[in-house]
Amino acid sequence: MKPLHIALIIIAGLGVAAVVSLYGNTTKYVSFSEAQELSQNNYSKQVHVVCQLNKSKPINYQPEVDPNHLEFWAKDSLGNESRVIFLQPKPQDLERTEKIVLTGKHKGDYFHAEAILSKCPSKYEDAPVKKEHPSEIPKSL
Amino acid sequence: MNTLLQATSKISDVVNFKNEWLWLGNLGQAFIIITFLSAFAAMIFYYKHEKSGDIAFRKAARRSYFIHAFSVIAIFSVLFAVIFFHRYEFYYAWRHSSNSLPVYYMISCFWEGQEGSFLLWIFWNAVIGVVLMRYSRKWESPVMAVISFGQVALSSMLLGLELQGVKIGSSPFELLRIARPDFLNIPILGSIGIENYLSIFNDGNGLNKLLQNYWMVIHPPTLFLGFALAIVPFAYSLASLFRKDDRSWLQPALIWSLACVGVLGTGIIMGGFWAYESLSFGGYWAWDPVENASLLPWLIMTSAAHMLLISKNTGRHMFTSHLLVQLSFWLVLYATFLTRSGILGEASVHSFTDLGLSGQLLLFLLVFIGLSASISFKSINQRRIFNRIISGVFIGAVALSFVIPADWYSSFQTGLKWFGISAFFSVIVLFIINLYRNQKTNLEDEKLSSREFWMFLGSMFIILSLVQIFTATSIPVFNKLFGFRTAVPVARDYNAIQLWMAMPIMLLMAIGQYFSYRNTNWKTWLKDAAITGLISIATTVLLNFNFKIEGYHFLLFLFLAVWLALGNILYVWKLKKLGVLAWGASVSHFGFGVLLVGVLVSSVNQKVLSSTQEGIQLAPEQDEKGNVDVKGMQFNRENRILYKNDPIKMGTYQVEYDYFEQGINYDSLDKFFYVKFWNQTGDTFTLVPKTQNNPKMGLLAEPSTKHYIHKDVFTHINYESGMDKKEPFSGFKTDTVALGQAFTTNSGKRKLTPLSIEKGASSNGLMLRLVLLVQGINQSDTLYPQILINEQTGNLESIADQNEGMGVYASMLSFNIQDPDPSKQKISFVIQSAEKEPVRDYIVLKVVEFPWINLVWAGTIIMVFGFVFAITNRILLQRKVLS
Repeated sequence: MKPLHIALIIIAGLGVAAVVSLYGNTTKYVSFSEAQELSQNNYSKQVHVVCQLNKSKPINYQPEVDPNHLEFWAKDSLGNESRVIFLQPKPQDLERTEKIVLTGKHKGDYFHAEAILSKCPSKYEDAPVKKEHPSEIPKSL
Repeated sequence: MNTLLQATSKISDVVNFKNEWLWLGNLGQAFIIITFLSAFAAMIFYYKHEKSGDIAFRKAARRSYFIHAFSVIAIFSVLFAVIFFHRYEFYYAWRHSSNSLPVYYMISCFWEGQEGSFLLWIFWNAVIGVVLMRYSRKWESPVMAVISFGQVALSSMLLGLELQGVKIGSSPFELLRIARPDFLNIPILGSIGIENYLSIFNDGNGLNKLLQNYWMVIHPPTLFLGFALAIVPFAYSLASLFRKDDRSWLQPALIWSLACVGVLGTGIIMGGFWAYESLSFGGYWAWDPVENASLLPWLIMTSAAHMLLISKNTGRHMFTSHLLVQLSFWLVLYATFLTRSGILGEASVHSFTDLGLSGQLLLFLLVFIGLSASISFKSINQRRIFNRIISGVFIGAVALSFVIPADWYSSFQTGLKWFGISAFFSVIVLFIINLYRNQKTNLEDEKLSSREFWMFLGSMFIILSLVQIFTATSIPVFNKLFGFRTAVPVARDYNAIQLWMAMPIMLLMAIGQYFSYRNTNWKTWLKDAAITGLISIATTVLLNFNFKIEGYHFLLFLFLAVWLALGNILYVWKLKKLGVLAWGASVSHFGFGVLLVGVLVSSVNQKVLSSTQEGIQLAPEQDEKGNVDVKGMQFNRENRILYKNDPIKMGTYQVEYDYFEQGINYDSLDKFFYVKFWNQTGDTFTLVPKTQNNPKMGLLAEPSTKHYIHKDVFTHINYESGMDKKEPFSGFKTDTVALGQAFTTNSGKRKLTPLSIEKGASSNGLMLRLVLLVQGINQSDTLYPQILINEQTGNLESIADQNEGMGVYASMLSFNIQDPDPSKQKISFVIQSAEKEPVRDYIVLKVVEFPWINLVWAGTIIMVFGFVFAITNRILLQRKVLS
């Protein structure tokens, strides 16, 4: 065994440890009901929930009361619905999102989101505005 | 959808569409095909020349490559023309540009779309190829054959062909009506005729506002040049394996890899600077998978460059040099696959569109790895057998997928997937085994006191750090392959581990250069290390009087970063006789140390000045023992509400939202908010963060930052009162009053008094304006309801005035002149008033102080200088050797 080999073995060991601890520390994509179960089992880590904003229920953001408090309802892919609280301002295009990824934990009767990733697939792929408002097209056409 | 497609394609055959510049697209498409074919020809001719040595082949190859380079520039020009002349019949122009886009941002349209960014990459490769043709001398044929092969692969991404339902490439000259056939079905076209569709599609979708930034004009080209440069060391490595045991590849490969590390690093930091200046997350690095995808090739290329240096100077570690150089290019391809296949979907904030080319991207990766594996065989016979097996298996699999019955198809696909994965890893393992057999060097007598030993170790620690980032970034890939549901780690997780991963690298960078190649006198080395170490400890202590960093791990990191910086800059003392150009490594390492100090201080000590404990309290949580979770309650409250002209204290500053302005012309969607800062030391400044309500992209906000030498004050608007839905006025009431006669609104909360009447001229008649005093509790304002009298028609038009802040509306409906002389006050006015709850203008603002963030940028600039020195020095040395 040369020092080189010893060093390489140590580094390889550290590499394995890094990957193992990475996988040990990662969290999962879950549904709201799984998130609730996990929190009841005192699962301490955050989870990710892929869901959709329920646009029929009100989005509650009143900056004059608390600029860091947003509440809304979201439905996951299995149809479970949950109230979501996010202690930050309202993401700028929340109403337009088609899919949101919440990172956080279930608490009490709501999901406490620490991060919201909104996905608007149509964001850069809009049909022309004129398609939606044909009446705006000048008559001369 | 299918029938729709068929229907519209029939329409396209019959209808004679008007005003389309089809010739322009055809021209571009022709150049794409020439680009592809000429690269192919150059590859074949170069290979033939390498095999036969016949000069005629080289001549043909060079000509082909010149045609190739020329037609790449031609594609570029045609695409620019498409955008410049607003030819929206082409999908690319419609999608990524608009009529109002300034010319200087048109170039940015090239990198918003995938086709354009591939084009950019091809362009850089073409340029690199021309440089190599001129300077690579005896390595020209094999190296250029590989570069041409790369160009064949890349330009096939632009072909835009569809064979048997398989898409090969995506052309930037695709027509809008082909790309979006649904657009021909919009109702309005029924009345004006489908052939006139361009009169409706007369403006494009526009370029993402966030990309309309100076840094976005230069960051992507720099980054792509970095990516493009990675192919050169790879090509040299393959060429040397092909020619067997020729070690003169090391010097040019080293120069090119240094260029790659320098350019790619600069490109990455430019992206960080752009993010810091124009994105909302408040920082320059978020460990987003897309950022990581550019960091991975940089890390491994850095590691590879150091290995090449060792190999060149000692003739050792040839295996590792080859391996890392090869891996660098594979990782570039892998990064391209990650960012362009749409696989990162839920893991990244960046928006991706899947062009349906992920299969093709994956194929590139496989083809290049296959090529490396094939060339790694020493015996030509083995190489042939390998090639036959691989191509046989590939053709067999493709053929099988056509003949397999439909109901077996899904199990066939699963089988194919697993077979593919195992074949992929076997080929890589095979390559590594071959490479090790052929390239292993004797390391028996390598000494602990040699520079190569410690430099090798440093390179391996870089790889260690890379393994963690690679695994984390690849999680979406593993999820897809193995059906996991693992989430990608957040920035915190990366920081926690990379902080420690960086330390051994920093330590080796601080002391490694005091070792000499082969053997070092331990005594001298210890002396150097001890002196620089002690100076660094003292400097760290001194610096920390200012930084005030707490936490032993952060202090250790700071010390190592300082040692790394000082150890290298003091080393220049030993090199002073050799001249500035010899200082390259020391200067760039010094810059890296400065950068790391900046990274540490600006992130560990960043202060959210707008942080607050106020707000709605959530119900405290109790665990099983009844302990209240206090931490959960004080959580992430980082924004303050700022009412107009109502200053509040943030940190040492008084902060006031002064007023806002609507932008004009091209910026007409923008709102500029003027926010004043001042403190007791007389420090006063105004920041202008802005928001944009973009009908196509939603709300965008751009931060505004005050730069000092020692800190930045960063502000970002997260919400503003203009985004609220406005309550309408109510309680309308009409009063007939004379001047000076006060009256109240419906509820009696506001008192209104007409003070005087002013006369003026409007564009087509007379304008009368009433000066109306509004009074409430502690508040007063003046409203100016107007009446316009059209002189030709005699019609009266009322223009109301309102004050949202006081919740008052007033309109002068008519007036009644009893005496034409206003001074006699015999006019009575019919005034309609209304009221609502007062609305106050406000912004929700986040303010963050980043101390010493300038060290990050300064460190980068120093690093770039170091690279320029190092590369120039090595080029000069090589010239000397050759002459």
